[in-house]
Amino acid sequence: MDFSIKQCVAWGGGLTTTQDWQSYAQGELSLSDSQELPALKQIPAMQRRRLSPFAKLALHCALSAADECLMSVPSVFASRHGDLAKTSKLISDVAAKEDLSPTQFGLSVHNAVGGLFSIYTGNKAPLTAVSAGEDTFFTAIIDALCKLSANEYSQVLVVFTETLVPEIYQQYIAQDEVAIACALLLEPAGKGDEVYTLALQAKQESDKDKVQTENQRMQVLDFLNFYYSSSKEVNVNSKRHSWQLSRAAS
Amino acid sequence: MNNLSEEVKQLIIETLDLEDIEPADIDYEDALFIDGLGLDSIDALELGVAIKKAYDVKIDNNSDDSKKHFYSVKTLCEFIAESRT
Repeated sequence: MDFSIKQCVAWGGGLTTTQDWQSYAQGELSLSDSQELPALKQIPAMQRRRLSPFAKLALHCALSAADECLMSVPSVFASRHGDLAKTSKLISDVAAKEDLSPTQFGLSVHNAVGGLFSIYTGNKAPLTAVSAGEDTFFTAIIDALCKLSANEYSQVLVVFTETLVPEIYQQYIAQDEVAIACALLLEPAGKGDEVYTLALQAKQESDKDKVQTENQRMQVLDFLNFYYSSSKEVNVNSKRHSWQLSRAAS
Repeated sequence: MNNLSEEVKQLIIETLDLEDIEPADIDYEDALFIDGLGLDSIDALELGVAIKKAYDVKIDNNSDDSKKHFYSVKTLCEFIAESRT
């Protein structure tokens, strides 16, 4: 399905502005281990105090990308691991037979950030929370495109967020990690816009043998690198899928 | 009682991540919830767990008594002091 990208806002690895990401795509800037977080001054202090780094990254990008349609836009919130720092702390507390923090518990579920977005903006449009392994980023776009098509929405917001996996789970991580959020405002392709097309192929059983490992780079970075470049097409391989994202003038 | 009230104020600030609020900013007798300090129902649950942990007191959820105990720093201190003896 064809679509256009009306807004793209990303924050992570020390890169915080459109200009930063353009320089990244041109190879002039690279990611750092910067843990700098958006200030989110627009959210009142009494609400902001409950936001984890994960939530701050997500909300900053979501609020900026959907600035024009905050109250009404349907959304897809996506993360591979979710707010795992929060979840693993709770699991430790359970193991130690400690009382759980009600606040932490409530905010550790996979759709918690979507909920915070909805509460803060008063947006009551449908919202989904997606997790799909290393394919999470592109899968979230597929979900958004399905919504655009099936429900004839005029716009859908996609918010992808990932933070560093806690030490205790690090042995399971094959990817280079960066704490990052990226929000996209997608629309059906219109006249005058660049038209994007996302194609996906599931690998055959015979192909799967060839690529046993996960892609070292997060898909969101493959996307940002492509989006801010002058390339017409990017191919991204994961363990299970081949993705092709391309664009052309309408 | 004085030390306890300072302790409780500190506990409230730390437990509820109250940015930019000092113990001196919390009035001893003013309402903690809604009108006064502006805490909400999630804070009430959170504070309940923290006080239970710190002072080993039993809190009956949702009883009218609990609402009275959680009204202000003063009522909380009285409740803690009472329950400990």
